Amino acid sequence: MKKRTKKLLFNWRIILLILFLVGSIATLALKPLTFGIDISGGVALVAQTEHPVDSDTMQLVVDSLQKRLNTLGVRDITIEAQGNQIVLVKVANVSTEEQANQIKAVIENQGVFYMEFNGEIFGTGKDVEYVGIYQIKSDNSWAVPFRISKAAAEKFAKLAEGKPGWPVDMFLDPPVNSLMVVPDNIYRLMNSTEFNAQAPNAPTLLERITKAFNITVVTYANQSAEEIAKLAQGKDKIVLINVPQELQTELENMNLTVRYIPGEPGVSDRQIIIKALGLYGPYSLGEGLASGQPQQDVQITGSAPDRLTAEREASTIYTVLKSGSLPVKLNVVGMEFISPRLGENFKTQALYAGLAALMTVLIIIYYHYRNWKIAIPVASTSLFEVIIILGFAALINWNLDLPSIAGIIAAIGTGVDQQVVITDELLSGERSERITRRASVLKRMGRAFFVIFASAATTIAAMSFLLVYFVGTLKGFAFTTILGVLIGILITRPAYAEIAKYLLGED
Amino acid sequence: MSKPKIKEKPTASDAVRARKRKSLSFLAQMEYRKMILYPLVVFLVALIILAVHFPRLGIDLRGGVVVTAYGVSANPDQLAKDLSGKLGVEVRVESFTGVDNKGVRIYAPVGTDPTGIIRIMKEMYPDAEYTHSEVQPTFGEISQKQGLRAVALAFVAMAVVVFLFFRDPVPSMTIIFSALSDMTIALALMGLFGIELTTATIAALLMLIGYTVDSNILLTTKLLKRKEDTVDKAYLSAVSTGFTMSTTTLGALLVLWIISTSQTIDNIAIVLIFGLLADFMNTWVLNAGVLKWYISKNPRGGSA
Repeated sequence: MKKRTKKLLFNWRIILLILFLVGSIATLALKPLTFGIDISGGVALVAQTEHPVDSDTMQLVVDSLQKRLNTLGVRDITIEAQGNQIVLVKVANVSTEEQANQIKAVIENQGVFYMEFNGEIFGTGKDVEYVGIYQIKSDNSWAVPFRISKAAAEKFAKLAEGKPGWPVDMFLDPPVNSLMVVPDNIYRLMNSTEFNAQAPNAPTLLERITKAFNITVVTYANQSAEEIAKLAQGKDKIVLINVPQELQTELENMNLTVRYIPGEPGVSDRQIIIKALGLYGPYSLGEGLASGQPQQDVQITGSAPDRLTAEREASTIYTVLKSGSLPVKLNVVGMEFISPRLGENFKTQALYAGLAALMTVLIIIYYHYRNWKIAIPVASTSLFEVIIILGFAALINWNLDLPSIAGIIAAIGTGVDQQVVITDELLSGERSERITRRASVLKRMGRAFFVIFASAATTIAAMSFLLVYFVGTLKGFAFTTILGVLIGILITRPAYAEIAKYLLGED
Repeated sequence: MSKPKIKEKPTASDAVRARKRKSLSFLAQMEYRKMILYPLVVFLVALIILAVHFPRLGIDLRGGVVVTAYGVSANPDQLAKDLSGKLGVEVRVESFTGVDNKGVRIYAPVGTDPTGIIRIMKEMYPDAEYTHSEVQPTFGEISQKQGLRAVALAFVAMAVVVFLFFRDPVPSMTIIFSALSDMTIALALMGLFGIELTTATIAALLMLIGYTVDSNILLTTKLLKRKEDTVDKAYLSAVSTGFTMSTTTLGALLVLWIISTSQTIDNIAIVLIFGLLADFMNTWVLNAGVLKWYISKNPRGGSA
């Protein structure tokens, strides 16, 4: 081996590059890359909390969502809180849009859970300590056993003493502190014994929700929007049920929060009430629980006309209980579903596009210099850069999504640019220019690296803002760009400079 | 390829280099007033275009529903008419083709149920592959605000670093203005060519910061710090490097744009192409013009 070649191979910059390359290839072989939903397929959901929350509350939201999705048997979930209002949920391996929509429904139905008896709230989702597997009997009756906290059990025992057959209500996201405007028939139904289980003398549903949740229910009698707004003073929101829909627009124009529930053919008044209140139940209080003795192990039972309905009712209650309570309501504000088959297409396509771009770089660089000794090192340095970026991504389990790939492209683009700067600086000392005072190679490399460091510094400065406090997809872009630039200035560019010096006989 | 001989000093053939420099020498001969004036005119035109025709916001910034069907070839207008009739809402249909795939994108207003659209589509095209996304306007607003803030902050960060590196107001301001003009022109071209402003294209605009700074720093360094050459020679050597840089990147982006059928990658590639074309002008004409003028006022003497 020639002395020069040896010197090149033992240069620490070259050794560093080789070490990183080998390390990256080994990492990639042992730990395959993980891809984002937009490439591998799956569903990505963006949920927004009803109002901004602090970081502790946000953590509760994330934990609770995780629990509920796990309960559903969904795998490969990542849940990430971003800022004080956004939760990003990504679920891989979702193959149909029906499944995707089911996950969306689960997140949106995720709510604040209350247990109420006789107008008193005796427990919330926090008080549910354990939920057992639900059972369905051959007569299509079902039961969901669960355990409530000691405090809740004691409170309940006191409330329920001597009241067998009374209604126990469970609510998921009831419209707390609101004004409900309903047609007369619905008002009468709420104020009847319809929701009283086996206790006609218990307070009506209307009385119970008024006391427990500060919900005021009024009958619609052609009131104007102004009159309704006046009634709703001090309330958080207005729930309109089957009244003229213009009222919704008019009230919203007054900056009030309005929920509108239309009456639909085939939907009974009872169903509308249940939907508007998020009511589960009412369940009839069993004899055993009316004894005044606190009991933590309780169960909810019900019956359905057929097995499928029974299954659905039981599993709903099961999930509601199991997932605990959310401290704040979530709305799905964005959703993206990519089928896995398409994702596979994207992956091969990204690979081809990348290789083709690399070939193009090779050919164009050759065209400019008419010299393979420049074109091949430039193109292969770019390839090495990609390998190292990917190796690093695999190592830290970074999910490669399309914006991350765009970031890699950006890094490669600047990488090629900077290699051209190095090459031209090296070549600038040649024949035709020799008349002028020839700067030493060192000086010229110093100049090239000034340009490289200045542009790397600006890129990193610009991108770090994105990385630190932005939500959504731009994060992946910023991450790979910064990673690429760092790998470039620390590993590949110095090595390329050595190789170029060697090949161009300038050392 | 012949075996490389190490002793011999292999470099780009002089003929090639000479030809490139000759073809670029018209730039070197340009008078600096014109070099400053022309790009400013282009910048103003871009501003006017933006004022009358700002790029449309994509659904991720505005809210809405989009269903993509792969493996469908259909007349978009006819399909839009059919779907609008069946759904009762106005939809817009776009067709696209890639190397190995073609399909349609269906845009529907906020609140439309995407599964409804897919159900109707599946009746007509059972073998197609579907994806869908929907964004609520509230989230679109958040993304808009963040995108705007991202661009503004990245820009400011870039400006600060450029100032720190050059500590000289005129060249620094020119670099910053070049970046601004690159982004403005790219945005104006997006408007003209109907490319939507999305989080992905915002990312592309941010990427332009990196590319702009590269070439501008190269030029500024060569003209201000390289004292052994004449201004014209330094400029010519910088512009020839710059030409190599831009054509290489443009080539790679063009290939990316042709091969990919992912809308995200396509849009990023095309916005970068717009920006790089603008950058070529802004660096090698505008910035060079300003620097030539600056050097003629402040001859490069002892300190740079």
